[in-house]
Amino acid sequence: MTKKIGRSLLGLLLIIVMIFMTACSTPNNNDVPDGEVTNGEANDGEDNDGQVEEKKVIKLFHRFPDEPFNSFIEETVAQYEADHPDIDIVISSAQNQPYKEKIKVVVGSNECPDVFFSWSGEFSERFLREGLIMNLTDAFNNDSEWKNSLLEAQVNEYRKGDVLYGIPFRLDAKMMFYNIDIFNENNLEVPDTWDEFIEVCEALKAKDITPIAYGNKNQWPSSHYIGSINQMLVNNEIRLKDLDPATGEFTDPNYVKALEYYQQLIPYFNEAVNGIPHDMARNNFAQGKAGMFFAELVEIPYLADENPDMNYGMFGFPLIEGEGDPTLLTGSPEGFVISSKTKYPEESIEFLKYFTGPEVGKKEVQQVGWFNAGVGIVDGLNDQKLLEAYEVIKNAKTMAGWFDASLYSTIANEYLTAVSDLTNGDITPEDAMKKIQKAAKEAQETYQSGANE
Amino acid sequence: MMKRKKFVPYYYIIPGLLMVLFFVYIPVISNFVYSFFRLSSYSAGKVFVGFDNYIKLFTSDIFPIMIKNNTMYAVISLIVQVGFGTIIALLLESKLTGRLRNVYRNIYFLPALISLTAVGLLFTFVYSPQVGLLNSLIRSVGLENLTQSWLGDSKIAIYCIIAMSQWQFTGYITLLMVVAIQNIPKDYLEAAAIDGAGPIKRAIHIMIPLVKEQLLVCSIITIIGAFKLFTEVYSTTSGGPGNSSQVLGVFLYQNAFLHDKMGLAAATGVLIFVVTVTISIIQIIVTKSGKV
Repeated sequence: MTKKIGRSLLGLLLIIVMIFMTACSTPNNNDVPDGEVTNGEANDGEDNDGQVEEKKVIKLFHRFPDEPFNSFIEETVAQYEADHPDIDIVISSAQNQPYKEKIKVVVGSNECPDVFFSWSGEFSERFLREGLIMNLTDAFNNDSEWKNSLLEAQVNEYRKGDVLYGIPFRLDAKMMFYNIDIFNENNLEVPDTWDEFIEVCEALKAKDITPIAYGNKNQWPSSHYIGSINQMLVNNEIRLKDLDPATGEFTDPNYVKALEYYQQLIPYFNEAVNGIPHDMARNNFAQGKAGMFFAELVEIPYLADENPDMNYGMFGFPLIEGEGDPTLLTGSPEGFVISSKTKYPEESIEFLKYFTGPEVGKKEVQQVGWFNAGVGIVDGLNDQKLLEAYEVIKNAKTMAGWFDASLYSTIANEYLTAVSDLTNGDITPEDAMKKIQKAAKEAQETYQSGANE
Repeated sequence: MMKRKKFVPYYYIIPGLLMVLFFVYIPVISNFVYSFFRLSSYSAGKVFVGFDNYIKLFTSDIFPIMIKNNTMYAVISLIVQVGFGTIIALLLESKLTGRLRNVYRNIYFLPALISLTAVGLLFTFVYSPQVGLLNSLIRSVGLENLTQSWLGDSKIAIYCIIAMSQWQFTGYITLLMVVAIQNIPKDYLEAAAIDGAGPIKRAIHIMIPLVKEQLLVCSIITIIGAFKLFTEVYSTTSGGPGNSSQVLGVFLYQNAFLHDKMGLAAATGVLIFVVTVTISIIQIIVTKSGKV
């Protein structure tokens, strides 16, 4: 009797072990990297052995799981699948912050999605250095139709030197949004220079109106302020040299000056800046609780959603006299890259061309209010806000990139931490820069010894 | 026949042994090995750097902040969760609570059932400076100048997180202590009562000494939990503002998945492992010697 129980126990154990082992073995190709949203058709291709020609599976990983953006992507993909019966596109997605972590884990593995979202600049360039993403230069240069269908200045943001590694999906830049009603009621004019800007803030504050809505709980919003100020104060060559982890030092005294300029703004922000997330600050602005808000153009649809009647305009970051280049526009397009490990390089390129091209771009701006780099996508668009925003981006010769995404990750972290402390008044600009210089030095050592491998 | 049977039991434990080996020991050892290398989650190669990661960890500006935060968490949790938890348990088992005993017990235990992330989110709203429950409450009683930005204030952010955990886990410790108190033989308490000991004297001289072991176990669970702290901080402040609420667990995670420093993360992992194993060994020794 006991022997029998023993045996059945052993059997049970073995079954458990087997389940564990199979769960750990390499999953088949159709598995999506991480239990995220997938569309159900994923497995069709392989299940119907012999009956249907096997579909080519392209995995797409993006970071726009919110509505209406997610549905827009799903519809666009469904349309492509309908036009290309041999292609099966498996979509998965994750929110901004988790996306950054997840993509880094899957990108080095064999489970890497074929086409995936990636920020331009250092975020993608680190993958490029490891040879994990595809070099699109030749494919792009040899296809004049493709080349001519996109805005060159925006595509160039996805270049490292001459190497093209991605195509923009949504264009973006940072502008100072202002509440026209509040400005009119208080007889205020749109400021051009920093001094005028401070005067406007002062005037609003005197009337007990919060001049600037600002939420820095997640720390990245501060980098857009600092990035914009740095661009005006720091010599552009020095700035670009510092952004490169191999040569970055951040010893230029103008960086300290930039933090001091930022400090001047602190009295004009709402209270508890570090306790409020960015979207809550936007909501406060949308409800008329603040005069201005430093926002991204991709936030226009959100503002329309939060308060459709809002009367607002936008102006560029106030001009500061300095050694930098005031024509730089803060911001950067966000787009997609292709894994170098993909089984279907040509099909992936073909899909990317469609997904980021003018045809989809037209629908994108109509349906969700985002622009891609396609030429002529705003033809027939009536929304004045969007047209105004599009002009800003279209006329920009060079984008300065998002400061945090352009920096080597440890330096970015040190910068964000320091500015967060600065906002709370826990650190001086000089000490903050010393910390950043230290992080830059460490990054340089890491980078150099890494390059000598 | 007998000889063959002697080995049979060992066959049975092989699957379990293998599982423990694959899922516990090998990862621990490989983590230890990784802590001597520099590598990222996506890079193919790794570079041997010796004790570099440990030196970086121990000399970093954040290190003292993290140790302070983890230790504060442990100390406050010991006082509130174990201390007050035990007092609540004693009250629950006293005559004061009467028939509603079970209701109270469930009310106290309820927060421990909610997922950590959900509690983190919930408290993000409670602590929200403008629309948060806490500030609204303070405003409604007319103490406008006492409102804070809570999680946005470098000086109090970590204490707000610690307070949240106390709310969540005091009931859990209470429940463990209630079980221990219920196991005390009634004879002792009756004998003490006959000798003229009042409820407080009975609690101090009879109940607490008899649940000493359970108290130790609870203390050790709490301390280990304090050093493994992650979700509470990650879901509320992610270590901010600045680095003021940074703890070892979040530092490990951010280095591994945000800053591409798997080696440094592994070294942090080793440190957490050493701390928790040391505490566990103390637990094993103490519980053995503690037999009544």
